[in-house]
Amino acid sequence: MAEVLLNRLREERDTKGWTQAELAARVGVSRKTINTVENRVFTPSATLAIKLAQALEVSVEQLFWIER
Amino acid sequence: MHDVNDVEKADRMGRKRSQLFFVLAIVFFAGQSLYFTSSPLTRDSHARVGAWLILVILILMLLATGGFLLRGRKVRDLLNDETSRVNRMASQALGFWVTIITSLVLYVESMFDPLTFNEGVHILVTLGVGAALISFAVRERRAHRIG
Repeated sequence: MAEVLLNRLREERDTKGWTQAELAARVGVSRKTINTVENRVFTPSATLAIKLAQALEVSVEQLFWIER
Repeated sequence: MHDVNDVEKADRMGRKRSQLFFVLAIVFFAGQSLYFTSSPLTRDSHARVGAWLILVILILMLLATGGFLLRGRKVRDLLNDETSRVNRMASQALGFWVTIITSLVLYVESMFDPLTFNEGVHILVTLGVGAALISFAVRERRAHRIG
């Protein structure tokens, strides 16, 4: 059965009041990467997932989860 | 932490890069279609083969580095971040498969219509490098358009 990685990156970013570019600057990636992760086009590496969670001050599990 | 201005600059440069690579791929394929449709007696001039070779080396360096001509390490790192590296690897893999499949086709075809070593290499390199370049350009353009 297909597994889909879902995330609440946009919601957490909105809570902080940050733009995609601001989050990208904090994590050290391009705005395109933030955009493609938010839209579930790109699956981030474990390193990037941890950096995103740390920047947004949430756990990785709160930010990403797998739906079966 | 990076500067937001660097992120925005990298975003603009990334869009330009994908457009430039797309145009470069079209120019490359157009030039090679002219090469292959011209007379075998005139097409292998030093100037033509030299121009093709320089363009191939330039494209390979662009694909290997993601833009070796760019200045500014911070912006270049942002430009070649995780998504770009994944897109580049996928494009290089496509180039590999196109080269292998073309090799097999040429191998069979040469049993019926022999071709020279140079012709074979020219076809393989053109299709392999061109496929990787256009694939990277399309993947990057698509990534920039989402959202």
